[in-house]
Amino acid sequence: MLSSMLTRLGLHTPPTVRDRVRAGMHLHAVLGALPHLVRLDEEAAATARLMGKVAIEFRVFDGPKVVLSFADGALKVSRDACSNVGLFFPSCSALNRMFDGEKVNPIPFKNFLGHMKALQLLPKLTDRLTSFLKPSTEALADVAFRAKHVELSLLVGLAATQDLVESDPKVRRVAKELHDATMVYEIPGGPVAHVKISHGAIEVGAGPLKDPTTSITIKDVDLALGLVQGKVDTFAANGSGDIRASGNLHIADEYNNLFDRVGLYLK
Amino acid sequence: MALYNFEKSNELFQRATKVVPSGISGNKNPAFAVPGSFPYYAVRGEGCRYWDVDGNEYIDYLAGYGPIVLGYNDPVVDAAAAEQRKLGAAFNHPTPRAVELAEKLVGMIPLIDWCAFGKNGSDVTAYAIQTAREHTQRRKILKAKGEYHGSQSWCRSGLGGLIENDFEHVLDFEWNDATQVEDLCKKFDGDVAGVIVTPYHHPAFANQVMPKPGFFADLRRICDKYGAVLILDDVRAGFRLDIKGSHEYFDFKPDLTCYCKAMANGYAISACCGTDPYKPAASRVFFTGTYYTSAVEQAASIACLDEMLKSNAIDHMMKMGTMLQKGLKERAEANGLEVTISGPPTLPFMSFSNETNFRRSQRFSGEAARRGVLLHPHHNWFIMRSHTAADIKKTLAVADECFAIVKKEFGG
Repeated sequence: MLSSMLTRLGLHTPPTVRDRVRAGMHLHAVLGALPHLVRLDEEAAATARLMGKVAIEFRVFDGPKVVLSFADGALKVSRDACSNVGLFFPSCSALNRMFDGEKVNPIPFKNFLGHMKALQLLPKLTDRLTSFLKPSTEALADVAFRAKHVELSLLVGLAATQDLVESDPKVRRVAKELHDATMVYEIPGGPVAHVKISHGAIEVGAGPLKDPTTSITIKDVDLALGLVQGKVDTFAANGSGDIRASGNLHIADEYNNLFDRVGLYLK
Repeated sequence: MALYNFEKSNELFQRATKVVPSGISGNKNPAFAVPGSFPYYAVRGEGCRYWDVDGNEYIDYLAGYGPIVLGYNDPVVDAAAAEQRKLGAAFNHPTPRAVELAEKLVGMIPLIDWCAFGKNGSDVTAYAIQTAREHTQRRKILKAKGEYHGSQSWCRSGLGGLIENDFEHVLDFEWNDATQVEDLCKKFDGDVAGVIVTPYHHPAFANQVMPKPGFFADLRRICDKYGAVLILDDVRAGFRLDIKGSHEYFDFKPDLTCYCKAMANGYAISACCGTDPYKPAASRVFFTGTYYTSAVEQAASIACLDEMLKSNAIDHMMKMGTMLQKGLKERAEANGLEVTISGPPTLPFMSFSNETNFRRSQRFSGEAARRGVLLHPHHNWFIMRSHTAADIKKTLAVADECFAIVKKEFGG
């Protein structure tokens, strides 16, 4: 409301589609992976426990918002929960710059003085997430770490499709035609993630689903790592059977139209 | 019997992915079927059979996705093409073959007065909608949801390389729902240039749906009422239902028709045909391509259409298709399975009833391919004139084995 008024007065330039999509992905998909990080990583879980009970809102002017609700070590991410402390970003591009690694100082709001400890601990958690999503070569030498990196990357990539659907006008046409379906991405002996598509909305989670519409099986974690790093040709892997799709491949194709585009926005 | 493997196909595909985007583009990419269960590269064909790079032989029911209507390497068509090739393939000008083929089509297909040639179905469906827009000076094109009209921007699915404006004026209606068509014509009264339809609904990944009685009559009435052009995309089914075009088979009168696949038994040619009132608009649309006037394909098309007529090919294909459809249903039932056979006999498709994720179809088709019968799990099949009763019998014997595997693995 305020943003459109300011736009009409010439005092505000709305974010570009790219900035809006990226901001949504950063808040919803990247920060949305924090509960999975807490599930997978003991260090992150310990930090979450130290956060106590607090709901931290990330709000972007003329952009997306998200609330991270911590309670006794558990963490929930939602778009519309109530918060008791917030971090305000003046624009999508400011938020994106921060996620790209630039120093950006958000403006704290609500009862930030009462939750200083949580606000100080939060970067520890996000840094830990970064270490998994943008890992060092040394870290990747560890088999268990590799599996976690792959799982978190997969979950972020899958979740990011929801923001594409919401904010990229070109994608909306395709999204309207998405069939309701369930898809499972499975790495035998490794992580499993799933996607539920219902009326154009996309919900992503960890773990298998019973009798999915489509299954994508990736041979092993190392192949998945190659895919995440862009070192493995998806088509070659598909042709050789290293990636196996079964079930309704039309649905897989429709969804992959979206999934393939995530890389245009998130690195 | 030793089951086929596809090692050389995969080796070639791995090489291809290094030098060709996606290895094989479009619907011939392995991902469209089930990677590992089908060949990726062919070497040669003969009649209704072809051989892949691993030396595996198939009774083929995909026919190059449709163009092989008589059979691979048909001697009559190939001789006509070879004769023209001796004279030259492409010139600064069209050759007499262009006029001869146009006259043949105009003489053979009731209703049409002219035709223009392209290379692929997409060329002529795009030309048809441009002609409709030019004729009416309007923008909107109505098409059935899920229908395939080619790979050009106005109708392509997916996202790659497309912008919103590409489909801004293309609106979908549900197949067989003439009320929706009329509603869209009312809503955009004065701006609907044309309605493009296939003779029956043949999307991939779904059963085929025939037109409801009166559907085409309704479309004709609506197009006349609102001044829209009725376009028949007969690219896939053309000359497999009726040699005079599928509108004769379904008894309706489109304004423009598009043909391709069965025109020349595998030689690259397509045609947009129309009635006299649309000829001036068609003339104003700049329609060209380097090879649109190539003579070899035109000579092949003349020979193919002659041969189709002479041998009463469609009647034979209808018989073979009916035998296949009936046999598959019987063998499925004998194995305790229920299948849905859809589409006309010459372009049949089979799916397992009450299944939406195609797992049984994929298993069935994959096992059939490993036993030398090529039946696509997601796309309609094509009968050729060269299919014989013995081929169908052999196919059904293989199907029997594959149904048993499906039954064992999935139950009923």
